[in-house]
This record gives sequence, C-alpha cells and structure tokens, in this order.
Amino acid sequence: MAAPMELSCWGGDWGLPSLHPESLTVMAYAKFSGAPLTVNTINNSWRTPKGDIPVLISEDIVISQPAKILNFLRKQKYNADYELSAKQGADTLAYIALLEEKLLPALLHTFWVEAENYCSVTKPWFASRIPFPLSLYLPGKMSREALNRILLTKGGPPLYSLSEVEAQIYRDAKECLNLLSKRLGTSQFFFGNTPTTLDAFVFGFLAPVYKVCFPRVQLQEHLKQLPNLCRFCDDILTCYFRLTISDPALIISLQMDDNLRKSPQHPPRKLTTLKLAAGGEESPLNRLSP
Amino acid sequence: MWRYLGERDLSNAWSAGKVKERIVQFKKWVMGLSVRTITRPKAFQKPGHLCLHLLQMAFLQMCNLPVRVVCRANAEYMSPSGKVPFIHVGNQVVSELGPIVQFVKAKGHSLSDGLDEVQKAEMKAYMELVNNMLLTAELYLQWCDDVTVEEITHPRYGSPYPWPLNRILAYQKQWEIRRKMKAIGWAGKSLEQVLEDVDQCCQALSQRLGTQPYFFNKQPTELDALVFGHLFTILTTQLTTDELSEKVKNYGNLTAFCRRIEQQYFEGHDKDNSGTAAPRSAKRSLLR
Repeated sequence: MAAPMELSCWGGDWGLPSLHPESLTVMAYAKFSGAPLTVNTINNSWRTPKGDIPVLISEDIVISQPAKILNFLRKQKYNADYELSAKQGADTLAYIALLEEKLLPALLHTFWVEAENYCSVTKPWFASRIPFPLSLYLPGKMSREALNRILLTKGGPPLYSLSEVEAQIYRDAKECLNLLSKRLGTSQFFFGNTPTTLDAFVFGFLAPVYKVCFPRVQLQEHLKQLPNLCRFCDDILTCYFRLTISDPALIISLQMDDNLRKSPQHPPRKLTTLKLAAGGEESPLNRLSP
Repeated sequence: MWRYLGERDLSNAWSAGKVKERIVQFKKWVMGLSVRTITRPKAFQKPGHLCLHLLQMAFLQMCNLPVRVVCRANAEYMSPSGKVPFIHVGNQVVSELGPIVQFVKAKGHSLSDGLDEVQKAEMKAYMELVNNMLLTAELYLQWCDDVTVEEITHPRYGSPYPWPLNRILAYQKQWEIRRKMKAIGWAGKSLEQVLEDVDQCCQALSQRLGTQPYFFNKQPTELDALVFGHLFTILTTQLTTDELSEKVKNYGNLTAFCRRIEQQYFEGHDKDNSGTAAPRSAKRSLLR
C-alpha cells in the first residue's frame, strides 16, 4: 500500500525493544496500528543518523519527532485512534501533555542526570552503540541537554538548588503515576480493549522506568506499587513485542535473536502461543506445559 | 533607576511607572481575614501577566471569596516566588495558581471536591495541556516572533526603565525565553506550526467542553479558571496580527464560555479594569 518505511531508533535491553522513550512510543504505535515499519536500531556504524532520534524515512521524506511521525502514519491510514470519540481524542492530548510536563523531567533525571545511574548504566550503554570518537562526546552532550531542560523548565524560584528541583520533579512524577493508575483502573488499555496513541505514549514513558535496572530507582519502586500500570506494560510487551517477562531463560534466548526482532511484520501474538513455542527450551520452562 | 541592576531577573516581571491603587475592601467571611491580591497596574501588564491575574481572580471568585485588588510597583519583589500576582492573607503570602489552590483548599474551600478520582486526574491533565500548549504559545508569540517582539514586547517590557536599561533588560529576557524554547524543542517551530498547536489545543478544549456550561458538570473548577484566564487574554490582547485570537474565535463554545464567566464573575468590570481611579465599593457582590 504505502512506500516502505524505515525507522531508525535506539535499540533495547532488559527485555525492552528500545530504551529511548520516544523511540519506544513510535514502535508501540506502529505495532498497534499495524504499520509495516522496518526498524533499524542504531549500531556501531557511521551510517546511522545521529540527529534527532527516532527518525522515520519513507522514500524521500524524513520525519523526526514522535508527534510528527505519528501524524504521518495516520495520514498513511495507519490510525490506531480510529474508534475514539472526539472527547477521547481531546483526553489523549491532555494526558500526553501531563506525561511530558510531569513525568518526563523525572525520567530524564533518572537516566541522564543522576550521577550513579548515568555513570554506571546510561553512559556505557549508549557509548557502546555509538562509533568511537562520538561515543566520547555524544552521551555527555545528551546529559547536559537533559539537565538544561530540567533546570529551564522546572528550576525557577522558589526552587533555587538542584536538590530542591530534584525533589519537586520526583514528587510531580509520582503524582503523575498515581493519576495514570487511577485513570487506567482495571481496564486493559486506556480507552477500552484496543490500544491507542495514549497507550503508546504511556508505554513509551513507563516501560524504561519499569524495566531498566538502575542503582538509584526511587521512581521504579513507586511504579511497582501500582500493579495495574505494571500489568499494562507487561501486557503490551508480551502481546505486541513477543517478549515475556516471566522467564529469564527465555529472555536470554530472545535477546540472542535480536536481529529477528527488528522485523515487525508479525500479527500480535498472545502469551499462550509464546509459551508453547518456547516449550522446547530448558527445564524451567517445562513447568509451563500442562 | 540603578537599583534595578543586580536584582534577579524574574519571569513576568516589570515594575510600573505609575502606581494605581484600587482598594476594594473585603473580609473573608469564614475566617475574618482579609485577602489581598497584589498585582501590577494594568497599563504595564503584558498579556501573560494579565492572564495570570484574571485566572487567579476567577478562581477566588468562583470559591466565593471576596478579593481586594491592590496594585503596587514593587509587586514582583514582594512575591515569594517572584511571580505576580500573588495573594496576601493575614500574615501569609502565596503566589502562583498551584499553591494558591492548595492554600484555599486548606482553609476549607475547594472547587474540585465534587469530582471523583478519574475526573480529578482528567482535570489535572487538561490543566497541564493548557500550560504546555497555550502558555508556551503565548510566550513564543511574545518573544520569538520578530515582528511582535519589535513592535510590542520590547517597548512594553522596557517602558518603565530609562535607556539603556530598557534595551538591556528586554534583550536579556528575550535571550532567556529563547533558551527555554530551544530546550523544549519549540525553537525550530515556525509561527504557523505554533498557531496550529494552539488550534489543536483549542479543539481539544472545545470538544471536552461540548455544550456544558463548565468543564466538569455544572460547577466551575480550577480548570475553568485556568482556561478562562488564558482564552480571555488571547481574545482581548492587541498584537500585531489577529491570528491567535482568530484561532480561538473559531470555537463558538469557547467564546461563549469566556463571556459567561466574565458576566457571572466579573460583572461590570469587563476588560477594562484600568478604568476608574475611584475606589470600588466594598459591596461588590460575588455571584456564583
């Protein structure tokens, strides 16, 4: 139908298809709407783009921000919001604004500003995926940009020191998580039984917080106290990204198949299929079979 | 004049050349304290500041709390966070909408008590949407659109100060705002894209409002005050072009909403609050 589309984004780890919230949002939306995207994760080569990530390339068109990429996909008739009412569409916009204002600063802080997290996890991970001379410079630049953004948007008076700003942004983020949990309630997705743009954004922001193993994890601990949000992330990972979180052996074998995961041309798989397919693996899995 | 040098640069801050005091006596009928809203005189208020003033006034009046508006030249220096307007109750001073809402709630007045948890989450989300899109668009239009900056913003911002201070402070403020826009990714946007974002935001608000009198049921909430403050300012402020206000005017229910709140809570005041120098009477009635 449409021209072939390629998405360049950061790769994944810890059971996630990508560590980068915006890349994850676009990948999730593509899965929900059935858009045939070829996903190229950034590896250690000079050919991949280093500018704004994620980037969608379709014929000659290059689009770089998640909102614009999603608009483009909608115009190509891959619309996950088709069944939403006007009011639900308005709610989507409002909740996305809530995520960006309240949750994103804390997410950026956890990944890029918190010294222990940055030095032990984020910087080595990103540096290993960027070719040599840039790997010395680019992670530092991303860290500085994150700090800049946090201070410029949240750091005015009466908050004068970085620790006061940090306390405020984590308070805001925890409140945001509570609000999302209340809104989600017991339903499977935010608007009924089919996932939409809002689910893609929430997943994109929550999954890195949920899964990545950092030394300093106050946000993750708070998130784990909200079981419906954890269940939401796990459901999307198992159904749409062919990954299960319950079995470490399976995760290791799936991570070895990283290349296969790049092709998204598969219908959503349910958890039972996955368990049966993995039945031939090692002994911990045998207890799954009846 | 040189005392202004060395003061911290406060967002939304400029002091007035003329001080006009309008004293409206009021007592908080429950606690017997007097609440004063302190702000800067109308003549030197920029649109962003006017909208904050309006939305605070709207909120306080929706809570049925009588308010006294006092204009002071050094308002922003009196404020704890540097932002005006702020309220002064007894011996406490509270600035910015969020803390004011909390403060009023602690005294037993809240507009959102009747909402359930999901509705409260929705309300907060919409408030963030307004802050994220409308407020940023207003700032963009004032400080990043060259035509508006030259003709309106720089002269207004620098008017209380003598030369060369007016130019220096105006450029400093502009540089600061542009840095912030760059950090959040708005620097690369063109005016058309910003207007489109405003349109999208207004469309979302219009769809949420529908045909109801207020956003949540029949009672006004903080969200109504916030939306009123921003939209009213956009509709009534003169800029170089009318595109921004045209975007809002496209949505009939939003303009009707603003008019309704204006009539109900600001009766008689209209847009021209800088009118009379005579003190208003203490018996200004506050209707719900």
